[in-house]
Amino acid sequence: MSLLDFARGPALQWSLIIFVFGVVWRIVGAALLMRTRDFSKARVSSGDRVKGGVRTILTRSVPPETFEKRIRFQFITGSLWHIGYFAVVLLFVPHILFFESFLGFGWPGLPNPVILVIGAITLATLVALLVRRMIHPVLKIISTADDYISWVVATLPLITGFLAMAHLGLRYETMLAIHILSFELLLIWFPFGKLMHLFFVFPSRYNVGAIFARRGVRV
Amino acid sequence: MNINMEAFDQFREGVSRLPEMIPPAPEMADDERVRRFKKTIIESVAPHQAMDLETCVHCGACAEACHYYVATQDAKYTPIRKLDMLRRVYRRELGPNRWLHKLLTRDITAEELEEWQELVYDSCTECGRCSLICPMGIHIQDMIIMSREALASAGLAVAEQRALAQEQGEKDTMFGMGKDMFMQGVERLRQSGLEVPVDQPDSEILVVSTVMDAALFNDAMEGTVKIMNSLGRPWTMSTCGFEGANFGYMAGYYEYRKDATMRVISAAIDLGVKTVIAPECGHAYPALRWDGAAVYGKPFPFEVLAISEFIGREMKAGNLKVKPAFSGQKVTYHDPCKLGRMGGVFDEPREALKALGVDLVEMDVNRQQSYCCGGGAGNFIINRAAPLRAKVWELKRGQFDQTGADTVVTSCDSCRINFMVGAQDTHWEKPIESLAALVGANLAE
Amino acid sequence: MKKDQTVGEALRQRGVSRRGFLKFCAATASMMALSPALVPKIARALENARRPSVIWLSFQECTGCLESITRSASPTIEDLIFNVISLDYQEVLQAASGTHAEEARKAAMQENHGKYLLVVDGSIPVGNPDYSTIAGISNLDMLKETAAGAAAIVSVGSCAAFGGIPHANPNPTGAVGVSEIITDKPIINVPGCPPIPAVITGVLAHYLTFGKIPELDHLGRPVAFYGQNIHDRCYRRPFYERGKFAETFDDEGARKGWCLYKLGCKGPITYNACAVTKWNDGVSFPIQSGHGCLGCSEPNFWDKGSFYRPISAGMWGTPEGLAAAAVAGAAIGVGSALAARSRQKKASEEEGA
Repeated sequence: MSLLDFARGPALQWSLIIFVFGVVWRIVGAALLMRTRDFSKARVSSGDRVKGGVRTILTRSVPPETFEKRIRFQFITGSLWHIGYFAVVLLFVPHILFFESFLGFGWPGLPNPVILVIGAITLATLVALLVRRMIHPVLKIISTADDYISWVVATLPLITGFLAMAHLGLRYETMLAIHILSFELLLIWFPFGKLMHLFFVFPSRYNVGAIFARRGVRV
Repeated sequence: MNINMEAFDQFREGVSRLPEMIPPAPEMADDERVRRFKKTIIESVAPHQAMDLETCVHCGACAEACHYYVATQDAKYTPIRKLDMLRRVYRRELGPNRWLHKLLTRDITAEELEEWQELVYDSCTECGRCSLICPMGIHIQDMIIMSREALASAGLAVAEQRALAQEQGEKDTMFGMGKDMFMQGVERLRQSGLEVPVDQPDSEILVVSTVMDAALFNDAMEGTVKIMNSLGRPWTMSTCGFEGANFGYMAGYYEYRKDATMRVISAAIDLGVKTVIAPECGHAYPALRWDGAAVYGKPFPFEVLAISEFIGREMKAGNLKVKPAFSGQKVTYHDPCKLGRMGGVFDEPREALKALGVDLVEMDVNRQQSYCCGGGAGNFIINRAAPLRAKVWELKRGQFDQTGADTVVTSCDSCRINFMVGAQDTHWEKPIESLAALVGANLAE
Repeated sequence: MKKDQTVGEALRQRGVSRRGFLKFCAATASMMALSPALVPKIARALENARRPSVIWLSFQECTGCLESITRSASPTIEDLIFNVISLDYQEVLQAASGTHAEEARKAAMQENHGKYLLVVDGSIPVGNPDYSTIAGISNLDMLKETAAGAAAIVSVGSCAAFGGIPHANPNPTGAVGVSEIITDKPIINVPGCPPIPAVITGVLAHYLTFGKIPELDHLGRPVAFYGQNIHDRCYRRPFYERGKFAETFDDEGARKGWCLYKLGCKGPITYNACAVTKWNDGVSFPIQSGHGCLGCSEPNFWDKGSFYRPISAGMWGTPEGLAAAAVAGAAIGVGSALAARSRQKKASEEEGA
């Protein structure tokens, strides 16, 4: 079995299984702890609380001006690399075919050179943010191994994908295998590190929005 | 400002003397502290908090919202870092991946808990600003409250707050002031010709006060009484439920918190009132309005409003009219964190100020994003935190100066004290007024 | 044909002009990316080469490789070259049969011991050697005994190179390629299902010219023909880059000749000369005809999922498998939460805080 066969076959199977298993475990395990009822009288109806929560899921991505002034750099670079990363993952045709193989449907993609440019900007931004994490006093004091591991694990597919697409480095099918394996490493690490925020960000934003909406405060 | 500056100086003196008067904290072995801290966290973490703790990506945005970080640029005050003890306990003891974190995440130690006292008490006023900036939507504020409860159970509540919580819980006094001081305030008002109903049955409204008003901010107490009298509805104060402040709530002692809250609740129920009004004392509002039903165990049979909220409501209904006595004067309004961001009261104070004819100039940062005064959640009595509060005063003072306002109005005793301390120490001359006082002093005939 | 006739004499006898012969040498040199300066050397070497003895063994094969080489559109120089080497044993082409054929093989082996070229097509069943026998001799034994005296071995077709179709899952005969059995002789793999005719003759021409095997890649394939992947030489590549793909075999994209990646083309991971040299004397190749590359010159190409499944789709398992993982995760998650809740309850009922 060649490395590519392994990467496309059993490695993909098992890493997907670990991913699904780990993600569901972590979400269910956190969501079902003991909860208490809030007996205070809400300022708004329960419908408005739900609306408040849903609203915050969307609006928390764009800080209000007061805050934006102070976090402008991380807001711009953070948004940039997230959007670029998802564009590369979701709008590059070979990736779309991967999703189509288990969703049953695909969607239109972007031309390869456009993906290359987006990917390059994304990678440069990620590197800049890594450096920032290592020198900014606040980030230095709160960063843990998880932050660095997650950075490496998330960036490797981008780098290896680049090398494969540009036919740099090793033979194409080997580089492709390494790219696919790096994605599988991402899948396996995902349930155990901070990348889980992809899922948790939704209930977290919802809850803070609903809790404050209950008090009549728009957040 | 219509307050007794001598009383204010005495109050400052009293606070600075507190450490000498506080009995030492009870002895506790290190592992007992750790055990108790963990126990409180374990029994308290709710699913939304668990998911919040899972979501943090260490982006550091919360630091930029925190007035302590903004004023000092010291990274140790990063809000999510204040939760590190709590987070590690959650991960190792309750989280779905605790099997992994037992190996990879360090256990907490008593030394660290002692180190964290400063972060959770001195450098956090539970103002909630960090909960608004976090891109992940983590509600950091309510976990700080839990952290205080856990530290208090481990015998590590900051000394001044421990003392006040215990005093209030056991004796119903604060700084030695209790029912007697309250009645002194009542008598002073009666002697000036005002009717002040106390313990009146068949009342619709119970007005809760605070010894801080009776001893220091008489103008607020007077304004409140005048407002209530002008409405012509049966209202009363109570000698059993006179205190809105709640040091148990602030310090993290559930039992003392419950003692203080239940006094007010019992008074309200005994009097059969439909409305309870919280005084201009920051945390008094959420302690009763949002977190009071939790100690009662079921919904209140009455509604709770802050005095400024009540003023706004009655003005809107046309029951309360004021003279536009401040016509043309530039005034800025400071939103207290517990009343505004954590309470939901923004518009009513502004409506009242507009009715008073002021030229309302908003600060660049206001309403739900308002910067905390720096002394909330009982922090104004932590002596060693005075330098920290002074830095925050510089931030607020800059905001006030930028508006060009002649007067600062707010609706919280805690904010008022903090601003007055800062103003006194830096010779800043502008008055810091109470909304209730201004409204009460300018009622239309 | 006399056995010790040179290649040059044999060609002249067949009516091939000097000019035609030199054109063939130039074409071969260029196809193998050799310098034009080498053409005279090639011509001289071929001119004077003794017609080498070639023994061709066919094992578990479909004869497609032989058909590919011999069934040209018109008689070609390649065809003639084939007749010019001394093909001393080939079951389809030879006139002899039965014991005569076997004797011819043994005689050629003896006379040319250490010098003959062994060409193999078809895979060898190792699981049970009796699955495939010729004249009562198992393929395995015949290969071993014939390889012993060979100067070099050429494995023609994917079956001889890597096991091919018989090797596909579940490989009931235990079929393997030549290089898994013979390890002490130089082996050139010329895979493809079938390989391109010009590739075969190019390899032979190289061997005859230089007396040694050409540069091989890690899979034993001549780099000259298998050194680049189809994707890099495919004329439809611009459409891949631009994001224009055929979605089905008769849609607008298919009719306009757009990229076939979505229809399962394995071009990017397949190394062969199809996109350059093409088939049927350069008429076309699968992609040009509108069908994705099958990857037939790569090992195990039958076992890499459907020919119509895109490379990036992978073989990730089944939705049922993932659903089972989700259910298992939920179960463990619930268990974890229940255990945590009971801890929470116990803590809240405990005294002492």
